[in-house]
Amino acid sequence: MNNHNVNREAILAAANNLRWEVGENLHDTLMESIYENATAIARKAVIYPDKKPAFSFDRTLDKILTSKYFGFPLMLLILGAVFWVTIEGANIPSGLIASLLVDTLHPLLKNFTNSFMPWWLSGVLIDGAYLAMAWVVSVMLPPMAIFFPVYTLLEDFGYLPRVAFNMDPLYKKVGAHGKQALTMAMGFGCNAAGIVATRVIDSPREKLIAIITNNFSLCNGRWPTQILISTIFIGGIAPAYLTGLVSAAAVVFVAILGITFSLVVSWILSKTILRGEASAFSLELPPYRPPRILQTLYTSLIDRTIFVLWRAVIFAVPAGMVIWLAANITIDGVSIANHFINWANPFALIFGLNGVILLAYIIAIPANEIVIPTVLMLTVANLGLSSVGAGSGVMFELDSVADTASILHAGGWTLLTGINLMLFSLLHNPCSTTIYTIYKETKSVKWTLISTLLPIAMGFSVTFFVTQIWRLVVGS
Amino acid sequence: MTDPLIALIAGILIIGFLSYIFWPNFGLSDKLKRWTQDTERVQIEDALKHLYDCEYRNISCTINSIAGNLSINADRAAKLVSRLEALGLLAIQGEVLQLTAQGRSYALRIIRVHRLWERYLADETSTKELDWHDIAEKQEHLFTPEQADKLAAQIGNPVYDPHGDPIPSSKGDLPTKKGKPLNEMLPGEFANIIHIEDEPPAIYSQILAQGLYPGMQIRVLEVSDKRIKFEANGEECVLSPIIAKNITVGIIQLEKQVEGKYKVLSSLKVGEKGTVLGIAKALRGQQRRRLMDLGIVPGTEIEAQLESLNRDPVAYKVRGAVIAIRKQQADRIYLESKESEKG
Amino acid sequence: MSNNALSNCADCPVHNLGNLKKLGVNMSNFDFAIALAGNPNTGKSTVFNYLTGLKQHTGNWPGKTVTRAEGGFEFNGKRFKLVDLPGTYSLLSTSTDEEIARDFILFGQPDVTVIVVDATRIERNLNLVIQILEITDRAIVCLNLMDEAKRNGIQIDDRILSKELGIPVIPTAARQGEGMTELTKMIFDVASGNFICKPHRIKSSSKELNAAIDVLIKEISAEFPNLPNTRWVALRLLEGDQSIIDAIRSGELGNIKGINTIEQSQLVIS
Repeated sequence: MNNHNVNREAILAAANNLRWEVGENLHDTLMESIYENATAIARKAVIYPDKKPAFSFDRTLDKILTSKYFGFPLMLLILGAVFWVTIEGANIPSGLIASLLVDTLHPLLKNFTNSFMPWWLSGVLIDGAYLAMAWVVSVMLPPMAIFFPVYTLLEDFGYLPRVAFNMDPLYKKVGAHGKQALTMAMGFGCNAAGIVATRVIDSPREKLIAIITNNFSLCNGRWPTQILISTIFIGGIAPAYLTGLVSAAAVVFVAILGITFSLVVSWILSKTILRGEASAFSLELPPYRPPRILQTLYTSLIDRTIFVLWRAVIFAVPAGMVIWLAANITIDGVSIANHFINWANPFALIFGLNGVILLAYIIAIPANEIVIPTVLMLTVANLGLSSVGAGSGVMFELDSVADTASILHAGGWTLLTGINLMLFSLLHNPCSTTIYTIYKETKSVKWTLISTLLPIAMGFSVTFFVTQIWRLVVGS
Repeated sequence: MTDPLIALIAGILIIGFLSYIFWPNFGLSDKLKRWTQDTERVQIEDALKHLYDCEYRNISCTINSIAGNLSINADRAAKLVSRLEALGLLAIQGEVLQLTAQGRSYALRIIRVHRLWERYLADETSTKELDWHDIAEKQEHLFTPEQADKLAAQIGNPVYDPHGDPIPSSKGDLPTKKGKPLNEMLPGEFANIIHIEDEPPAIYSQILAQGLYPGMQIRVLEVSDKRIKFEANGEECVLSPIIAKNITVGIIQLEKQVEGKYKVLSSLKVGEKGTVLGIAKALRGQQRRRLMDLGIVPGTEIEAQLESLNRDPVAYKVRGAVIAIRKQQADRIYLESKESEKG
Repeated sequence: MSNNALSNCADCPVHNLGNLKKLGVNMSNFDFAIALAGNPNTGKSTVFNYLTGLKQHTGNWPGKTVTRAEGGFEFNGKRFKLVDLPGTYSLLSTSTDEEIARDFILFGQPDVTVIVVDATRIERNLNLVIQILEITDRAIVCLNLMDEAKRNGIQIDDRILSKELGIPVIPTAARQGEGMTELTKMIFDVASGNFICKPHRIKSSSKELNAAIDVLIKEISAEFPNLPNTRWVALRLLEGDQSIIDAIRSGELGNIKGINTIEQSQLVIS
């Protein structure tokens, strides 16, 4: 054994000495040899066409999609169209599902369980867990079932690398990697997936920048919040026939704001703790492939929609129980939830938010998807709107956006609250899965903490300034 | 409700105060960290490095040269030397300072970290070339040998730093010094730059400004007391002997002579074709490997196909695939200079 | 070579697929381990999904698959475990995805490595093929996207390609399911030893490099006589590859054996 060790070390020492001799050109020499071999083989086995076809679909499409003048406007147009289709298309099915799960099934279940369960058990299970789940399904399933397949079609078609190509000048300016555009685009689906995708970035400095800024891509858990709030508060001030368009525009604006934040933060990072210039960028622009629509619909439903929905449901169920308990366990005659809300309200008002939103974001750390259901549930509980729900902590009938709006208005929400919630939804800590993924990818507590705390600090700063300036200009 | 104006002012003040404390590098907390660093150990290690450098270059080392190298006064340097002797790292024989075996291995450990870090910064990060040395100077005092081995493993156990200096192995082995200074060459000779001294910074930045780097092939045209004229990458460079002294070269017998002026890839307009001649040595590490992986090696045909804003990046057709490359890299890929054909 | 029936089979119903049983994620008690390697965007995941019946998402951008996916299928009564490696342009750089791919092919010792090649970018893809053939003897080229190549007027003689590379070359269009029967059969043949590969090895014209390699080969084969890819190990040592250095130091390299000495492959993945 010892003899082996000596031999092995001798091999390594010999290799090291040879490396000083051979110098640093070894890799170049090797690659050149490999390609010489490859060229020789290909010359024997492959015949390329003599003449290029007069018209190449790929080249023509590339010229349009990456054009100096049309590249960016087309990107915005496509993004806007995707949201518009999602918002317009999700409205009706959302109401249908809600009326089935909440209006019809909930009373049935409630009556059924009440017959043999103590009131509190049926409360936790049906008014807490079941309703939270029903809410998540009715709010999230329709937009996701539209958004994901459309997004996946774009992805399969080969559009994402073109986005990266278009955006690269911006990323270069802020000292980031061009492929950050790709990971950012993945982040629009799910931040955790976006962070895993940062493995395509070679340079560790730029990979860290991409990881820290990935949270500025609105993930699918936050789309419903954005879409719903912008429909109620921003679409609400537009004439009825423009509601869809205006809401879509507001969501696009927030998404672009997120991209802007990611660029600004990248720039600050590459000037301070992650100093350096943009490194090399080589990205293959693959040929366009006609997406197979049916298969895409199927895989994106299975892969993304159901998966994300399932995750949301899993997190919503315990959260629903927590909310129900928080709304029904009382100290000095006031529920725990109300204690927190009343205590947090003055603080939250500085940021144009309210105690309900803060509590909702604490409960929703495991999954952003349940923010809106939690907000509504808590608002009802806090107001004691027993006419709407069936008691404290019970999520109420929701068959239209208008009902949600009336609840929120009753809770004292204004246009400013809506805007701030949209901003805060963009700028706050990543969900627990994403935080864990960041830790796995960076293996560093420090970077995980920075990626977690930086967005939330920014969220509070931005909402603070928006609120105070708003009050200064518009008056409260 | 507070007056929004007061709230705004308070908010700005709080943010200003927090960034005054926590702003990276310039903030109070980072400054405090720097003040509390162990300055004595840093000086000992810097002195050892200087002593080793003298030994490697076969020049003698004195208390004064230590004082000069560490920019401390002679008194302090003398104290430092006696401290080194007390630690058993240094033997003093009259005027001559001689490293002990223990001192040498300590010095090599520090040098290993320094050069590994420079290699790492050059290959894996996009830190500016002028910053490499300073960052490495800091890191060399913070890294343990185990950490150094880990860093080496991560970047493929390099044997040379980006200036062309050999990196000591983890056992402290170093190859014998090769090459000679540029100013000792004769006209007409061909050579490879094997090392560029990165100190003092004033001279180093002048060399960098000429676009010279290790691995570059040069041909000496004229040597005199006042100037050295040579050709590098098809362009004429003139240096004074004082500067040329800091460049070490290895004479080579040319296998294939590269003639004429080069063209760079970034000069291709959309639709134009060219043939790759080589990738500049200034593209290092992963960047270089990636380009070669994609098939950009000497002899490859390449055609510009798409431009984005400001022509940066540009997408090129390489071996059947369309690859986007930033201008920064395209500037460093050389093409054969024959007339470009229209595609 | 097994180029026999592709053209006939393009429009015939899946005549031989009765033999193929997609096992999804069920990979217990497999007889053979198959690695799936290739450049990004060559349709690797499509081939993977076709054989296993799984629905791994495939995106049209380089670097989509950054982790390893596994699945199983059964053919001619043998159970195969299929491992989809991250798409890489090369195995010589030092990024995570390339390490995952390289370590699996080297230390995982798959019974067959299927290299998915984009027929429209053969030269670039051959870079990876040639590198893999330095590591392993048992490989198959799956010449995918033949439909795109045809559309672009590229003609490929797969028999010459196969002769030059010394391994089977199967033209396929995985999205349409063309050529997949032949591929499955060939995987079976190579895995069970019915087909012996004589892979192409890099010929380098650099005297310096060859001399250095020769010195190391002598030393390595004295210590690890059974190693099937000594030359490649020597090359990796000259490039300072840490996992090879570790494998030499620990003696793990001695566990890698040539094709004739393998009884039942054991997956030892670091």
